[in-house]
This record gives sequence, structure tokens and C-alpha cells, in this order.
Amino acid sequence: MAKSKMDLKNITIKGKSPLGLTCRQLEYRYPESDEWVFKHLSFSLDRPGFHSLFGPSGVGKTSLARVIAGEIKGFGGELDQGTIKTILYTYNQERLPGWSSLARHLTGMTPPGKDELRRELVETFGLKPVLNHTFAQLSLGQQNRVNLLRYLLQDFDLMIMDESLANVDERSKETILLKIKELFYDRYFLYISHNLIEVARFCDRIFVFRGKGKSPQTITFKGLDTRMNKLSRKEDLDRVLLEIMNAG
Amino acid sequence: MLGRRIIQFFLIFTLGIICLMGVKYSLNLSDYVIPGPREILTTGRSIFHEYLFDTMNTLIIAVIGQAISIFMAFFVGITARQSTWAGTLIRAAAYNIQAYPIVAVAPIIFILLGDGFTSRLLIAAMICYFPLLLSVIGIMAEPVVDIEHFYVATGRMHWQLEVKIRAFENMGKLTTVIAGSSTLAMAGTIVAEFIAANQGIGHSIRIALYQSDLARILVALFLIGLFLSIYQEILESIGKRITSSLFLTKECRLNKMSRNSAEL
Repeated sequence: MAKSKMDLKNITIKGKSPLGLTCRQLEYRYPESDEWVFKHLSFSLDRPGFHSLFGPSGVGKTSLARVIAGEIKGFGGELDQGTIKTILYTYNQERLPGWSSLARHLTGMTPPGKDELRRELVETFGLKPVLNHTFAQLSLGQQNRVNLLRYLLQDFDLMIMDESLANVDERSKETILLKIKELFYDRYFLYISHNLIEVARFCDRIFVFRGKGKSPQTITFKGLDTRMNKLSRKEDLDRVLLEIMNAG
Repeated sequence: MLGRRIIQFFLIFTLGIICLMGVKYSLNLSDYVIPGPREILTTGRSIFHEYLFDTMNTLIIAVIGQAISIFMAFFVGITARQSTWAGTLIRAAAYNIQAYPIVAVAPIIFILLGDGFTSRLLIAAMICYFPLLLSVIGIMAEPVVDIEHFYVATGRMHWQLEVKIRAFENMGKLTTVIAGSSTLAMAGTIVAEFIAANQGIGHSIRIALYQSDLARILVALFLIGLFLSIYQEILESIGKRITSSLFLTKECRLNKMSRNSAEL
């Protein structure tokens, strides 16, 4: 269902100051472990948008995400949240309780005044045909979509999406990402994915983790930041892909 | 289902009797040590009604005792599930008290409360309670992180929801533990009656033991096994009914939830 620009404005929060999250010399290792998960890690999110943490498995992306979300304490360095008040972290293995249908769960989890946003997202995420199902009856891709959807309904300034669209087909993923960027243009997102093309196409800033022992530990790239009204060219995509691959 | 469980019980009991008779005839033991089949049947006929009521009396105490122990186990298990100071203290106390055998404490209970209903009930509940408590604490103290994360992250988590999630996710385990604890409740009641009570099948077994009357003991065992099989089957059926009412069938769900989808 197409919506007018005016309607869309009604279902997004007001713009915030561009001073966002800043990490300076962050370091973390698990208790009783001698090995650092990451060390001397610095980067900043200076403007809202769809940004990415990218890198191979095991370099500490999820640990960093959980540090930022406040789920891991006892890290070193400085983490300045700036104007960001509410941070939500969502990951792809989360489940919904099995005692109610998706419709009932989503209705119950929708804050007041966000019913229109819920309908919009249900439509975009392609979940309308399965609303009468329970979570266990869905495919993995559908499960990830409904999980992400309920997070998007909540109030947040920064959302960290850790493989949140895993197992979702490419076409649906593109539709969902473009809609998120359209509806939540004034929020911060940190998107964790192993799909390089997807990250290069849709993300604004791409923080590439280079792995343990390398300095600097992250390098920041400018992604294509594809939007509904700003499509990317193949040559630009190839250039960004090459830059990121060479950074590793 | 009930029929199958009773048939299983009859088979096992018959096998036990055959083994006993095998021992009797292979070792050429007298009827005084192990009575013959005819004597067992004769004894069974003569005391059946008396023992039937005794077993029912014991079962009633066991059922009430188990209900009390389930309530207590859930109350303490839910209270002790958190990793707070109080929760840790309750868990430690529960584990330590469990290390003390209830049977050893039973004489004190009989001295203080006499040999009536209350003592039997208390001992039955206590013997049934501790294993149940450990299972409930184990289930309630284990977070279902993949489900709970959303509620914690969005500030929606409250203790009732936490308990509901953990109970729902472990419904199968809880049903099995509760059905299994019925054996403990029955055993607890019989032990209590055997030690000092003046009623119940445990009391009858004690008298039979003093008379060295194995036929009476076998009849008592038969009735205990039969009643326990029926009771366990009823408990499992209740568990299945609760589970199936939570996991609705697809057709039922479609009917019941169509209203919700219409809202969306």
C-alpha cells in the first residue's frame, strides 16, 4: 500500500542532533581469557543513517554490538553515546513465544500510536499471509523478518541489526532495507552482515573489521547508501567492493 | 492409553510373581517363606476389600501431599530462580536441606504431631517436594535467552512473563517431572505409614511384615502398583491437555485468531 510523504512523516520520530555514537580505543576480552576480542578500536557515527559493521566471523562484531547495546560490561576505552538515548540490539536467532499467533503478538507489542507503522511494515515485510501462524510454523527467513519487525515498532535511536535478515531472499531483503531507510531516515542503524554486496549497496558508512593484530583495527569506507530515490550504478558498486576487499 | 498402562503393569507384576515362584520351586522353599499361587489367591480374596480401602486411603494422602509439594516447589522455585542474594540463599538452603534424608526426620514428625493424617501428609509432601523443587529451580533459573532478549531489551520483562516463558518452553519436562513425582508421593506416604501411622496400606504392610505373611505383602504391592498406574496416567493426561490447549491445532488457531488478523 503506497503512502504519502505526509503519512510517512507521522510515523517517524523527530530529527536529532547529528552528534551520535563515538567509540575511542575500545577493548574487550572475555572474563578469564587472555585473548582480546578487539583492542584499540575507534570509530564514530556522526550522522543518522544505515551504517554497517563488516568483517569475517570471529573478529568481534557481535561482541562490539553487545558492548554498544550495554549487554556486555567490563570493557576498556570510551564509549560516548552522544545524543543517542535508546539502543536496541537484535539478532537473527531470536524467537517469539509460541503461545500466540504473530498477529496477536505484534498487536500486543505495538506501542500506542504505531498501528499504522505496524500495518505498513507487515505489508512490506511480506508477513500478511502468515499472521495467523505461530512463530514455529514460519520459515527461517519469515522468523527473522517478524523478529526485526517487532523491534522496529519500538522506540529507538540506534538499532543494531546482527544478521537480522539472514535467510531472507535477496528481493525481499532489498525491499525491506529500502523501506527501513525510507521510514527511519533520522535514526542510526548498525547493520551486521556477511554479504559484502548488500553492505556496499545499502550502507552509508562501512566499518570494516580487519581482524586481531592489525592496526588500525577498523577502516571506514563510504558505501553507496542506495535509497528508493537514489539508485546505485554498477561501476560504483564494483569500486566499493574492491576497496573493502583490499582493506582486509 | 490407560488400558495399555494397566496391561503393562499386569505384565510386569505377573513376571515378578513368576520369578518369585521360580525362586521358590528351584530352591525348594517352604510356603512359610514364599507362599504358593493358591495361597496368594486365597489371601487376596480374603483381604481384597480391606486392602483396597487402605490403598485408597494412602492414595488420597499421596495426591494431597503431591499437590502441596507442587505448590511449594513452584513457589520456592520461582522465588529462587533469580541470581540475586535472596535467590542464591534459597537455592543453597533447598540443596542443603535436601541432603538430609526425610525418612530420618520422620520419627521426629511422628513424635511431635502424632501418628495421624498430618504426619503422613507432611512426610509424603516432603519426600515428593525436594526432587520436584530441584527440577523446578533448574527450569526456572535457566533463561530462554532467544525469547527473553526482546522483552529485556525493550523493558517489557516482568516476573510473571519470565515464569510463563520458561514454563512454556519446558512444559514437556515439567509434565514428566510432576507425573514422575506421583511415585515419590505414594512412596513417601507408604514410608510414613510403615514407620508409625495407624492407617493406610503402609500400615497394613507393616502388620504383614510382623506376621511374615508374604501373600498379604504381594496383594498390597499389586494394589499399590495398580492405583499408581491409574494415577500417573491421569496426571499425564492432564499434562497433555494443558500442553495441547497451549499448542493449539492449526484449525482451532485459525478460527480463534482470525479476529486478530482482521485488526491488522
